Amino acid sequence: MLTTPPTLYIRRPSPTTAEFTVTTCPPLTLPLRLLLAALNLLRGIIALAAAALFYKRFLEDSPFIFPFSLPFGFGPRNVTRGAQQAAGGGTDGSGIGYLVQLVTTSLSQVASLLGKIAAPFPSWAVASVCLLVLHISLFTRLHTTESVLVLRGLGMQISSSPGAARSPYLGSSSGGGTVGFFGFRLFGPWPWRTEQRFIPTEQIRDVLINEAFRGFEVRYCLIVVVEGEEDVTVLFPGLLPRRKIVERVWRGIRECLWEGEEGRRMTGTGSLKER
Amino acid sequence: MSQSLAPECNEVKEKYDTCFLKWYSENNNECSELFKEYSSCLQRALKERGIDKLIDEAREDMKDKDTTYMTRKKSGYITARWDLVTRLYELAIFAWNYGVVTRAAKGFAALSLVFLLIFIPVERLATREAELHDGLMRVFWPADLPRSELKGVVVGWRNSALDVFVLAILEEVEPRNVETALKLGTLLRNAPHPVSRIYELCGQSSMHVLGVSNTTDSAAFDPSWIRVTIGPRRRVPAITCPLASSIQIILFDRPLPQRMQYVSLNPITLSLEDKHDSFKMAVPDDEDESEREERIKKEKKQRLVEKLKQHSIFKRVPSEKEKALARIVNQINWAWELEQLLQKNVSRIGPRPKRSLSVSERVVESAQNARDMMVVWLWTMFITYVWPIIKKISVWILMALRVVAELCLIVLEWRARPGYAALKDISATAQQVEIRLQQFCYWPMQYITLRLRKQDWDSVTTCHPDYIRFYNSLWLVANDIIIGIALGSYIMDNANWVANRISQLLTQYTVEALQSSCIVALRPALPHIIWFIGVASFVGASLPIALFSDLLSLLTIHIYSFYLASARIYHWQLTILISLFHLFRGKKHNVLRNRIDSCDYDLDQLLVGTILFTLLFFLLPTVVVFYLNFAIARMAIISLKAVFDTALSCLNHFPLFAIMLRVKDPGRLPGGIRFELRDTQEFRHGVDDASERLPSTSVIYLKSVPLSFKAMFHQYFQLGHRIRKHYLSPRVVFCLLTGRFVPPLNRKNLYKLQYSMLPARRAGIMELWNAITSLPSSNKNNARAPPIQVPVLANGRKLNHHGGGRVRAYG
Repeated sequence: MLTTPPTLYIRRPSPTTAEFTVTTCPPLTLPLRLLLAALNLLRGIIALAAAALFYKRFLEDSPFIFPFSLPFGFGPRNVTRGAQQAAGGGTDGSGIGYLVQLVTTSLSQVASLLGKIAAPFPSWAVASVCLLVLHISLFTRLHTTESVLVLRGLGMQISSSPGAARSPYLGSSSGGGTVGFFGFRLFGPWPWRTEQRFIPTEQIRDVLINEAFRGFEVRYCLIVVVEGEEDVTVLFPGLLPRRKIVERVWRGIRECLWEGEEGRRMTGTGSLKER
Repeated sequence: MSQSLAPECNEVKEKYDTCFLKWYSENNNECSELFKEYSSCLQRALKERGIDKLIDEAREDMKDKDTTYMTRKKSGYITARWDLVTRLYELAIFAWNYGVVTRAAKGFAALSLVFLLIFIPVERLATREAELHDGLMRVFWPADLPRSELKGVVVGWRNSALDVFVLAILEEVEPRNVETALKLGTLLRNAPHPVSRIYELCGQSSMHVLGVSNTTDSAAFDPSWIRVTIGPRRRVPAITCPLASSIQIILFDRPLPQRMQYVSLNPITLSLEDKHDSFKMAVPDDEDESEREERIKKEKKQRLVEKLKQHSIFKRVPSEKEKALARIVNQINWAWELEQLLQKNVSRIGPRPKRSLSVSERVVESAQNARDMMVVWLWTMFITYVWPIIKKISVWILMALRVVAELCLIVLEWRARPGYAALKDISATAQQVEIRLQQFCYWPMQYITLRLRKQDWDSVTTCHPDYIRFYNSLWLVANDIIIGIALGSYIMDNANWVANRISQLLTQYTVEALQSSCIVALRPALPHIIWFIGVASFVGASLPIALFSDLLSLLTIHIYSFYLASARIYHWQLTILISLFHLFRGKKHNVLRNRIDSCDYDLDQLLVGTILFTLLFFLLPTVVVFYLNFAIARMAIISLKAVFDTALSCLNHFPLFAIMLRVKDPGRLPGGIRFELRDTQEFRHGVDDASERLPSTSVIYLKSVPLSFKAMFHQYFQLGHRIRKHYLSPRVVFCLLTGRFVPPLNRKNLYKLQYSMLPARRAGIMELWNAITSLPSSNKNNARAPPIQVPVLANGRKLNHHGGGRVRAYG
């Protein structure tokens, strides 16, 4: 529901410039937007709760880490005061201040509750679970979007999701620090940044469709052979879309980058002779 | 013997032949009759076939010719020509007979058919293709160009027919005037530096008028000119060109040259490149196992790449537009400075009257002038009288220091024989001192390069990596000294305590545990040593670390020797045990075939072997414990030294300046470029009149990518990878278990990082002297000096000369 199989979108303002985007994000309708917002909120709350628990268990009593305490104070000393303020917030504070107070008090209550629950467990277990939950809630992504921008006369720019496999020999290195988990990506190094790379046309030797083994299946991936480089560069390395998409993108790239008249004529029908 | 011409004469001829041979050997005259017989027979045969006449004629002819040649030259010439004519005639007849003419005609027909069918269509296709390529126009447009609604002339570079680079919009001027001004160079007057440099680096011979902006009349325009509509509310200009069917507008933010920002296709290199090559050359002499594997893997990959090259069937010839990218990057770097220059000179062509100053402004100006005069006078006095003396003294001090440094370096690098270790290879302290001295030798050269930068345009980006390197090393040394002072004062304040602690530790771990007393002699001197280290740390924190590292290896030399001995004993015992175990099983290691064979031992052999086996086996635990003790100690020391080395390389090489620049101004650390496709929808909505038909346009934003942190620490990652591969490999564990010597990491690999900021060969004393004395004294005096010949480099890469442009001399 939240994700689709990789889908291709083409943006082509002029025949010599095109952007091919493959994404797992379905078209953003209103219900979907609401759902995603709710999901992100939930993630934020879970992350906050994990952070609160961590703070309560390990950092609250140590004088070194936060000598002047967090601004809103999670500690039990502040709970009562915060609750009082929350109760009488309408009188002394503005709406935002009231909201902040409410959130902090509820967080501190949650933290103390979680602290009680986690009390019998050993410290290392609590710490590792906390960090893991924090990591998952902050660093997982729902959607992966990868794109190729082709500009005639200039070159080709590849945006790939980070941590994706770089080499065409996917069997060995497709793991590459990424672990699939309920369809989400886990442990990507910088999930909010896509890696971008520009290859000038002069350096592009060829664009090919390559077969690669991945586990027990054969995937077709688009590769660019770059002049003077040892490794070929894989397009859409994280998603590795289906063959149909790959072929369409391949034709599009060739049209856009090299073939002229022919390419323009074929743009409407989107079909080109198979070679 | 050959057959006769006539078969019926064969018999006679044979007789004659045998006789002739006989005669030839015995010399008598009996063959003449036989010959007559044979000749009469042949005559008959010839007569029968009518050949004799021919022969006679030929003989006559020959005689005739001979005589004519002897006597009359003219007739000889005629005969020769006649001969030639007849031969040609014969040839023609021969050709006709054998159908040569028809064949040639056929070939001609086929060729013309081929020409009609293949070459003409191909040529037509090619021209159409070319026309189509021309249909795409590329316009580079500075996004931060001032946007006004006034009429203007667009000026810039024309890289190829439909590939233009906009530099500036000159307002309220006539295009024709601008063109003549560009030709005459009026627009580039008062340039602070030589103008030829611009053309040289931008790869064009002159600037052009590219089009007009915000005009309505379409008369009298060159068809290749662009028409631009722009205004304060419109972020992206609307561009039309009669020749272009589709347009790429590439917007870019101009890097500011005076802030040393620039754009580059390749990431900026923080370390010196030539260094690596020299190390790579040096390595193969003493490469170890893993390196060889690496090399083999690399070669294998190279073969794969070669194979991959054969997959692409044809190699496209890159078009002019595609090759222009490197040049365009340079033009982007120049854009800001050139626009300033052009705008400054617009008033020379446009009738823009200057407002005269009011009275109060004049008063203020004259007052300021008076004050300025005073300052200028003082400054000239200083420059003419004091400055040369200061300069001379400092140069002499510098040269003296350089000589001292050279002497120290010679001592440090002295080797007894070429293969032997120098002092700097043995001791970390010596190495540290050497690095500092080398840096000291390199700084003046770097400083001179940076000074030369001031004599050139700001947009020349060659020196920027040098600038970063120079200040990085200065910063690091300053940092080192600051940390060193803190550390040193701490050590000196607590010298006794530190000495006690160290001696205690030494006793605990190296003496008592080993029951050895070689440390005892050193103990009284320990506080002095510590004090010395404390003093040394005022030179920088790296020196005490290096000293500690040396001290550690010096004080634990006994552990090292014990380790060597115990490892040797353990290894022997292990091998003896293994071979005795084979004997115990009735087997034997066959050395020749490298396998285990069964072997019949005698009873006494078996008996002695078994007894020895049990003996050694029961002795083994003792040796193992001994060996383990020393091996663990050895490993601990190695890891401690590795920590020291890491700290040293951090202090010597950390890209501190680069990181600060990255935070402060990412534009100064370019790591490549990237493009962003903008939505053209909003751009189309902005067009006011619907009648104006815009060609299909794509708006692209060119942005500079700052250098990634990963690239900054690339060398550290490489070093870590190498260390991990060397020490955390199964081979090392195997060596430890079997008591073999664990080879230390190649020094060159380990310390490559520390030397990567230094050139492979340091400049000699005379070179330094020449460089310093040739340094131009100041900007003002140098205004008319010839341009400095800095090698033409575009982004660290050699750019080929494009004619050099027009050279003009300006005051």
